[in-house]
Amino acid sequence: MRRSILTGVVLVTGLLVLLDLMIVNPSLHGAAGAVNELLVLLAAAAAVGGGATLAAHHARTLAAGDGDSTASIVLLVGMASMLVAGLRPGSSGSSDPAVLWLVAALLAPIAASLFALLFVFLLAAIRRGFALRLRETSLMAGAVAVVIVLLLPIGGQAGDWLAAGAGWVRDVPLAGVFRGLLIGTGILVAVSAARSLVGLDPDDD
Amino acid sequence: MTTSTAQAAPIETTAARLRRGAPALLLLVALAVASLLSGSIDGLRLASPDRSHGDQLRRAIGDLPSGALVLIAFDADLGTYAEIRATTRVAIADLAAHGARLSIVSFTPEGRAIAAAEIDRANRAGTGESLADLGFVAGAEAGLVRSVESIVPSAARGSTIDAIRERGGGIGAFDMVLIVSGSDISARSWVEQVGTRLPKLPLVAIAPTFLDPELEPYLRSGQLTALLATLREGVAYARAVSVGPESGPGRSVGPLPMLVGMLGALGVLAETAFRRLGRRGRRPPGRRAPS
Repeated sequence: MRRSILTGVVLVTGLLVLLDLMIVNPSLHGAAGAVNELLVLLAAAAAVGGGATLAAHHARTLAAGDGDSTASIVLLVGMASMLVAGLRPGSSGSSDPAVLWLVAALLAPIAASLFALLFVFLLAAIRRGFALRLRETSLMAGAVAVVIVLLLPIGGQAGDWLAAGAGWVRDVPLAGVFRGLLIGTGILVAVSAARSLVGLDPDDD
Repeated sequence: MTTSTAQAAPIETTAARLRRGAPALLLLVALAVASLLSGSIDGLRLASPDRSHGDQLRRAIGDLPSGALVLIAFDADLGTYAEIRATTRVAIADLAAHGARLSIVSFTPEGRAIAAAEIDRANRAGTGESLADLGFVAGAEAGLVRSVESIVPSAARGSTIDAIRERGGGIGAFDMVLIVSGSDISARSWVEQVGTRLPKLPLVAIAPTFLDPELEPYLRSGQLTALLATLREGVAYARAVSVGPESGPGRSVGPLPMLVGMLGALGVLAETAFRRLGRRGRRPPGRRAPS
C-alpha cells in the first residue's frame, strides 16, 4: 500500500512537471508551480533540520564530555554568531553588514587557506601511496606528471605544443570517458525512473 | 636512563619533525617569493594560446544593449573558487565597464558566502553601489525553477530592482546571465532548468577546470553562449579585456608561482618514485615490500 502511494505521488508530480514543460496551460502551470513551491519548502526544511541536528549532536558531545569538545565549542559559537548576526531584530539577513563581515573576513579566508593546503597534503598522500600501493600509485603519479608537464606555463613554440597537447587530452580521452559515464548514468537513471513509475522493484525481477 | 639521554630524545624528535616539515616549508617560501616576483617574465606564458573562448565571452558582453540587465549567478565552491576568482572579477568589471546593470544571486549556501565576500570587497572598493543584491534563494534547482518567474526579494529596493520588476521580476527580465559555476549548481543546471524555459536568454559561464568536460558540449550545441572553463582561458580573457583601474579587478594570476609549484610537485613525485623503485630493486628476491 505504502509503495503504491509513493509510486502514485512520483507518477503524478513527474507527469505534471513534464506536461507543464510541453503544454502552455495556466492551470497546469499553476499546479506545477505549487509542486515546485513544496519542493523549495522541503529543501529549506531539510537544511534547517540538518543544522539543528548538527547543533544538537555537538551540544550532546559537550554535555557528555566525550569527543573533541574544542571543535564542538568552535562550531556552536560559529553557528550562534552567524544566526545572531543574520536574525537579530533590524538585521537585513544574509545581506546584513555583520554577516558580510563574518563571511568575508573569517569564513572565506579560512576556507581558502584550508583548500590551499590541499597542494601539500596531496603530495604527502602520494608519497604515502607509493609505500602502500606501488603499482596503482605509480600509474596515478605518472598521469599526474604528464598533465603537469602539459600545463607548464611556457611560452614560444614549445608552449604552443604543450597547450595543444593539454587541449587534446581534455577534449578527446578525458571528455570521451566523462561523456561515456554521463550517458551510462543517464540510461541507468531513466531505467530506474521508469521502473519506479510502473511500480517495479528488484523483487519483481 | 641517564639525564643527558633523556634531554637528547626531545631534541632528536624536534629535529626529525623539522626535517620532515622542511620540504613543505621551503616550497611555501618559494611560492611566496615567486608570487611577489610575479609579473611579465620572458619565456613564461600562462594565457592560453587559443583565444576563441575568451573572444566568445567578449562578443557576448559587447553585444549587450546599453544599460542591459545582467544577472550574476554566484554558485562557486570554496574549494575551486581560487581558480576562477580572477576571471570572475575581470568579467564583472568588464560588464560594469560596458554599462551593464548588475544583480547578484546565489542558489547554494557556499555560493552565497563567496558572493557575500565579493559584495563586501566591492563595497570597500566603492563599486558595490552598482550591484543589486538579490540574496540567497533556497531550494537548489527547485529554487532556480521558481526564480524563472520571481527572483526579486520583496524588501529589495533600488533602480536596478525597479527595472527588473518592470520587466516581470523573473530571470526572463535579464538580458544575459553570467553563471559562476560550482559543483552543486553549475551551468548544466541552468541549461537544464532555465534554458529549456527561456531558450532566448543568453547564458555565459565561468567554471573551474573539473567542470569543463561536462560543460563543453553545451557550448558546442549553442546552449551556452560562452564558457571559460580553464585557468589559462581565464588569463587569456583577462589579458584581452582592457578594464579601467577604477573597477579594480585585482591581481591576475602570474606564471612564475604556477611554474614553481608545478616543478615542486614534479620534483616530489620523481624523488618519491625513484627512491621507492630503488628500494624495490635492492630488495632480495622473494621478499615482500613492507606495508
